[in-house]
Amino acid sequence: MEQKIIVNMKNITMSFSGNKVLDNVNFDLRRGEVHSIMGANGAGKSTLIKILNGIYNTPFGEIEIDGKKVNIKTPSDAEKYGLAFVHQELNVCNDMTVAENMYIGNWIRDKYGLYDKKATSEKAKELLNIMGVSIDPDVPVRRLRTAEKQIIEILKTLTREAKVVILDEPTSSLNEAEKENFFGILERMKKKGVSIIFISHFLEDVFRLSDRVTVLKDGLNNGVFYRGHYTKDDLVVAMMGKKIANEVSDTLTISEDAPVILELQNFTSEKKFSNVSIKIHKGDIVGVCGLLGAGKTELAKAIFGIDDYDSGKLFLYGEEIKKPRPDLMIKKKVALLTEERKLEGFIPLMSIKENTTLSIMKTLANKLGIIYKSEQERFANNISEQMTIKMSSINQSVISLSGGNQQKVVIAKCLASEPKLFLLDEPTRGVDVYAKSEIYKILRDFAEKGTTIIIFSSELEELLANCSKIIVLKKGQVVDEVSAKNLTKNSLLSMIG
Amino acid sequence: MQQKINRLKSIFGEDIMRLAIILAFLIVMPIASPYFLNIKNMMNILQNISLQGITAIGMTIVIITGGIDISTGGVCAFTAWIAASLMKSGTNWMLACVCAILIAMVCGSINAFSIGIMKIPPMIATLAMMNMTRGLQTVISRGTTLTGLPESFQFIGQGLLFGIIPLPAIIIVVFYLSASWFMSRTILGRNIYAVGGNPEAARVAGIRNTRVIFFAYILCSVLACIAGLIFVSRTNSAPATLGNNLEMRAIMAAVIGGTSVTFGGKGKIMGTFLGVIIVGLITNALDLLGVSAYYQQFIQGVLVLSVVILEAIRTMRVARQH
Repeated sequence: MEQKIIVNMKNITMSFSGNKVLDNVNFDLRRGEVHSIMGANGAGKSTLIKILNGIYNTPFGEIEIDGKKVNIKTPSDAEKYGLAFVHQELNVCNDMTVAENMYIGNWIRDKYGLYDKKATSEKAKELLNIMGVSIDPDVPVRRLRTAEKQIIEILKTLTREAKVVILDEPTSSLNEAEKENFFGILERMKKKGVSIIFISHFLEDVFRLSDRVTVLKDGLNNGVFYRGHYTKDDLVVAMMGKKIANEVSDTLTISEDAPVILELQNFTSEKKFSNVSIKIHKGDIVGVCGLLGAGKTELAKAIFGIDDYDSGKLFLYGEEIKKPRPDLMIKKKVALLTEERKLEGFIPLMSIKENTTLSIMKTLANKLGIIYKSEQERFANNISEQMTIKMSSINQSVISLSGGNQQKVVIAKCLASEPKLFLLDEPTRGVDVYAKSEIYKILRDFAEKGTTIIIFSSELEELLANCSKIIVLKKGQVVDEVSAKNLTKNSLLSMIG
Repeated sequence: MQQKINRLKSIFGEDIMRLAIILAFLIVMPIASPYFLNIKNMMNILQNISLQGITAIGMTIVIITGGIDISTGGVCAFTAWIAASLMKSGTNWMLACVCAILIAMVCGSINAFSIGIMKIPPMIATLAMMNMTRGLQTVISRGTTLTGLPESFQFIGQGLLFGIIPLPAIIIVVFYLSASWFMSRTILGRNIYAVGGNPEAARVAGIRNTRVIFFAYILCSVLACIAGLIFVSRTNSAPATLGNNLEMRAIMAAVIGGTSVTFGGKGKIMGTFLGVIIVGLITNALDLLGVSAYYQQFIQGVLVLSVVILEAIRTMRVARQH
């Protein structure tokens, strides 16, 4: 039986300063359905959702909810119609309890109209049980892991009796085990009759979860796919208009005689990682994989000198580094791409020009520290072109770029210093499939020119496709070091789990 | 031509509102008071704004790093008083000024140490410094005013170039031009923006944030001290009330000038200059119109609030367009 249509967006058209971002897009959502929206960066996904949320208003097109035409002018209108949005960035109050976060702004009152702490906690517990989540409702949210915080955000929508939940990239910070748990929760929500709009770059997750997938391309609806009637390749073709070759870099073989670039001996930082001993050879692309909390980020940050470590030795090009520090490591031609792009990657108000040249300013200035402007511009233009950053000019501020292009700017910033050792922590999170393949290509080019690359990632496909060997971290310890050749995703999964 | 317009836009685009306010004064005030456009009055304005004007440069830089320094009034008063009393006791005036600047550097370093190394919130750290300097100044001055300083020292504040342009006016213009150039064209200047815009990203890019913080707070204290010395020289007196409310006036100028107190990394030295001029023009206009000092303070408050609200509306509009 076809379920009733809850949300129906008809002929939505939207332009920004003359550019059509959405062109006659139709989108509908049925009761108890998971309907995914996919598309490359800039395809119009977020614009469509922002129109539904009331952040953007457009006179072109209609929105119907439960068959009635509505006018959503502000986010509070959207809430009134039972639409709940869970954004990629988490909006939790860290020092309030789990229960309080779930009922925030929607407080349960006692008979005197005062806040009823006990009832809130009980109701929260009930909901957590129904959804099969084992989180104590009375602990402060600060103590939860990111994945758990995300679950709390989603459950928050249920306390508001939302009919439609819109999830923006909800799985990007989840590891495989957490994903399972998360999908289970979504299944239970569906059974309760909640409809879900799922926006994601992750083909696997979309494929697995969706009843229907709408693919946007350049502001046009480029196809609707029904469960069981399409393949992942169909989605990629619809998104990109071309097939992305799944290149496997089986040509990358590094002989054991190549000079050792980085060596760690019993590298230990209490509660983060312990006794990590690895050797990385010149020109290699090595993957470090593990679940969230396995110590990947912590290890990367300790090598680069952002965080301290307790004991162990670090050798760079055979020379021992006693106390690494970011500015020293950059001088020694090491670069780090950090995991949190927005928090640690770039200076939002500064231009592409300034961000890409941030760590090499000394080479673009005279002894007194006065910057040679034209050289800075030439350099920024060159590297932006090399990195295929889509921009109006190098003076555009980085915050106005799409996620994939922001990431390219951050990578450009790292590569600007011509690193001999390049550490990347989750390099393609929140980046669309096409930009991903471009980033991989750039990394491989640099590896061929002799840059040694270490990718810290929880995306197994990424590691399998790009690395020559993979170091497996589990609870802060190296449990295995395997050649990526002939390794399958499942065997790798069993190692990290 | 188009290129020129674009260039002008990039320089003044964000300052349209401030320039419009200044223009409005220049058009309306001469009608209200014939004395207003007199060159002497203009010079007078520039001279009068030198105290908060020079302090506001340092304040703007500190605010761009994402901090704030409310000890500037105290540092200004304390160091200028020491310089004045050294001069009174017969010390060479240049030596006395160097002493004052060195003490200001110590104050700035203590601020930077608390903020950059001990990670104490700037408001708290500099509040403590404000109390310490104000307290010490009260102890050594015992509420008295020092006058009768060396003539050669008085020349800094009272001297005239070409018999018409007061030296403080020249000093303030030179200071603003060099600070503006410094912030936009040198590595250290850009690092200040980077550290304020995103401290973590700056650190990862190899910038040593602590050094930048030290530089900003020391510079801020030194500029407050220099501003105080010029004031003392101009008035030939170091009153116990020297620098009262100075930090607030400097913050006000920076905010009217478009510097963001909410998050670091946003602000321009020349914006602050316009802010200082606007405050100076208003004070002068109200003086000429014979408005009482109590109303003046109220009107300044109204001005800050309206500028900040207008700015917020503009930001929201820009955000909506994106």
